[in-house]
Amino acid sequence: MSALLTVIVFLPLAGVAITALIPRSRGGSAKWVAVTVMAVDLALVAWLVANFDRARAGVAQFVVNVPWVAQAGIRYHMGADGISLVMLVLSTLLGLIAVVASWKVTDRAPTYFAMLLLLQVGMNGVFLALDFVLFYVFWELVLVPMFFLIGMWGGTRREYASIKFFLYTLAGSVFMLVGIIALYLATGTFDITALAAKGAAGVLGIGFQNWVFLAFFLGFAVKVPIWPLHTWLPDAHVEAPTAASALLAGVLLKMGAYGFIRISLPILPAAARAWAPWIALLAAISIVYGAAVAFAQTDLKKLIAYSSVSHMGFVMLGIASLTTVGLNGAVAVMFSHGLVTGMLFLVVGIVYDRAHTREISELSGLSVAMPVTGGLLAFASFASLGLPALSGFVGEFLSLLGSWESRVVPHWITVVAAFGVLLAAAYMLWMVLRVVLGKPSEKVAALPDATLREVVMLTPLIALIVTVGVWWGSLLGYVDPAVRAVLAVFGRAA
Amino acid sequence: MSSIAPVAPELVIALSALFTLFSDAVFRRRERAGAWIGAVGCLLAAGLSASGGSGLTLFGGQIAVDGAALFARTITLLLATAFFVWLAGAGLRGGGVRQFAALAMFGILGALLVISARDWVVLLLALETATMPAYVLMGFERRADRGLEGALKYFLFSMVSSVVFFYGISFIVGMSGSTSFAATTLQPGAIGLVAAVFVVAGLLAKLSAVPFQWWAPDAYSAAPAASVAFVSSIPKIAGLIAFARVVALLAPQARGLTVVVAGAAVLSMLLGNLAAYPQQDLRRLMAYSGIAHAGYLLVGLAAGTAGGLRAASFYAVAYAIPSMAIMLIVAGVGVRLDDFKGLASRRPYLAWTMTLLLLSLIGVPPLAGFTGKLFVFTAAISGGLLWVAVLGVALSVVAAGFYLRIVRAMFFSEPVGTPTAPAPSPLSVAAILLCAAAVVAVGVMSSPLLSIIAFTPH
Repeated sequence: MSALLTVIVFLPLAGVAITALIPRSRGGSAKWVAVTVMAVDLALVAWLVANFDRARAGVAQFVVNVPWVAQAGIRYHMGADGISLVMLVLSTLLGLIAVVASWKVTDRAPTYFAMLLLLQVGMNGVFLALDFVLFYVFWELVLVPMFFLIGMWGGTRREYASIKFFLYTLAGSVFMLVGIIALYLATGTFDITALAAKGAAGVLGIGFQNWVFLAFFLGFAVKVPIWPLHTWLPDAHVEAPTAASALLAGVLLKMGAYGFIRISLPILPAAARAWAPWIALLAAISIVYGAAVAFAQTDLKKLIAYSSVSHMGFVMLGIASLTTVGLNGAVAVMFSHGLVTGMLFLVVGIVYDRAHTREISELSGLSVAMPVTGGLLAFASFASLGLPALSGFVGEFLSLLGSWESRVVPHWITVVAAFGVLLAAAYMLWMVLRVVLGKPSEKVAALPDATLREVVMLTPLIALIVTVGVWWGSLLGYVDPAVRAVLAVFGRAA
Repeated sequence: MSSIAPVAPELVIALSALFTLFSDAVFRRRERAGAWIGAVGCLLAAGLSASGGSGLTLFGGQIAVDGAALFARTITLLLATAFFVWLAGAGLRGGGVRQFAALAMFGILGALLVISARDWVVLLLALETATMPAYVLMGFERRADRGLEGALKYFLFSMVSSVVFFYGISFIVGMSGSTSFAATTLQPGAIGLVAAVFVVAGLLAKLSAVPFQWWAPDAYSAAPAASVAFVSSIPKIAGLIAFARVVALLAPQARGLTVVVAGAAVLSMLLGNLAAYPQQDLRRLMAYSGIAHAGYLLVGLAAGTAGGLRAASFYAVAYAIPSMAIMLIVAGVGVRLDDFKGLASRRPYLAWTMTLLLLSLIGVPPLAGFTGKLFVFTAAISGGLLWVAVLGVALSVVAAGFYLRIVRAMFFSEPVGTPTAPAPSPLSVAAILLCAAAVVAVGVMSSPLLSIIAFTPH
């Protein structure tokens, strides 16, 4: 079954080729190609999940490992452990939903859907790659379609936002490339599994580890993003078209956090331990800063964008704790934030399509004028603020618990971070109060409600948000063994 | 036949060039026949080069074909084939395709000899053979106001750099008592280093690297885009291979030479990337981009290792293919950045091809430019040039900024005025698409190429 991961990653590329051949006059057929490819991809991932050996979730499965550039020691090596699998589910599910959410896109439609498909190749590949060069290829591949999605179909400041997104993330990742090369020259391999074994064996000196960790930090932290490297995010999220915003927040941000878990921790354990308190501090600042700035926003998308900075802070806090509980929490937040924020952006997109505004002051009384849309927005907001029994609660709770238990994170940082939960509840509820409740505003009063397509497309997200919220084990059963494998190098972790 | 096997491709090119010169007797006024002769000749020569293999020597070792020469000659000839196919399809606005093709073929002949030369005098003659036709190509639009000025600048500067190179050689030959690479021995101390620096300075000028770069932007911006496409790409591969041989030969004997090369690399990357940003004329922009990429090539050479030479050779190809194809597109669309505005809606396939080529120059994986940068920086860091590598990757972000200006013009801007460029001929588009395919193939399948590139000691 070693070809399965290859098919999952590169099937969308075949879709790109097909959409490129569609003449402009038949542009409407592009979405059918895209939805078919994405659905088949998701089905393959479902098959993967069904055949995944949960007892061995800590090791990579469905491995493909052949030489690629033999002279330079580069291999085509992919595999899925529990964490990869969870991220792959998120990526392919949101990918399909993004296509459905773009059903009404008619402006240069073949190109638009080709870009969504190309984006999918990069997103899937990053979570499966086990060779560092291959990882970097997928990592950078993501930039190109997102650049075009923002720049061609974005809002009024799309050109500025797209170039800022591209250059900002490129600037982070080129230093990662230097780190990758340095690591290769020190160990003689690009293989992530082999590098992790060397990391566990303590081959690399702490001085060297610190420098390489810094190089990786620049690459990953821009993507997460961690304060103060977050400034590209509000521009990109706000200007991007709805589907791209959902994928950007839902999947692309996770790539950075995934990099810390898959690469920085296992390969550079000594540096990770040394840096952990500082990362925790930056995480706590991100949590509080993101939440505080979210309060001040008058644009719905901007509010969600800053809430993402805040939520990704919980991911980084869980990672910095270096505990089993904290890391389980981090992955849970990654998965949940992907579902919830993806849904929030999609619902805001539904509102924006009709009202042509995202200004909170111009929207009110959605629950009266558009009861279904208003209900969906309220549901996603409750999930986002961490209401128990919905998915948002699990991860943030475990993250905070892990950071409290952690021997490297000072208690006061956990206390500050916990304050962020309160802030999240406050700014989200205040938004719901203004937008969903109250008397319908003039802009909203005569708008049609969400269509069946829009409701159906959000149903899987709702189902997963509730399932994970109620039955944590369904998610953590996959994540926990993989987390323990990652943390094995830190000794008695929890 | 086996005795002339090492120069079989050169012979084919020389015969094709002569045939082209006199082809009006056969083809009458069908000018583009010259381009076709070039395409067929180059393809045939490429086949001969590839099937000839490596490990050949001729004229008592004055010419030798090692793995690196096999690689560089074959790629140069394939690239030249694509160029002539484009020329056959697109033609030249001012006419003169036949003469243009013949001159280009003489230039290619010189480039092939530069690649396999193992003797200082042969190298000098080959370099002149490669460069002299380029003077004429750069001033090919005689009626253009600045055409002659640019060609003259190029001519004068190139002559000066050749003289400097020749001066350096005279020291070396004097010291070692022989013109062959194998017998080269530098006297220790300053005189040896001076000789080496003169030779290297001459070669730096041919690569348009700092501090001998300043002719390029003026000369390029005064020349027809088709000439720039040829001159800025195809001879660069040969120049780099010769440079690599000279550095491998002299660096062990002249301490400090690699520092000079590293310094030129750093300055070229800095100046090229920073000065390219504000350019509105794409020929100027690509001139500065060429200076920057010469810097990346030199990073590989400055590492002074076998891996570094191999990386730089690979990078030369990864630069030359997209660079030529971009200028070919420019030749069809227009030389001003404004000419590219809204191209995506007029000619989507051309715009996407251009984007792919530009992304390769930025270094976005899995394209050739990325693979080249990966190898060059690996060589640099292993050679102790970590800070040069860090500077190089940081400047590649700046490079992304100016290359993306073209992408933004094509995709995010409305056309300026009514674009006048005629629809490109299918044949010229095919040549450009072949280059784009090569950029992907070279990037993804670098392994077979790397296994060929090997510099044998002299």
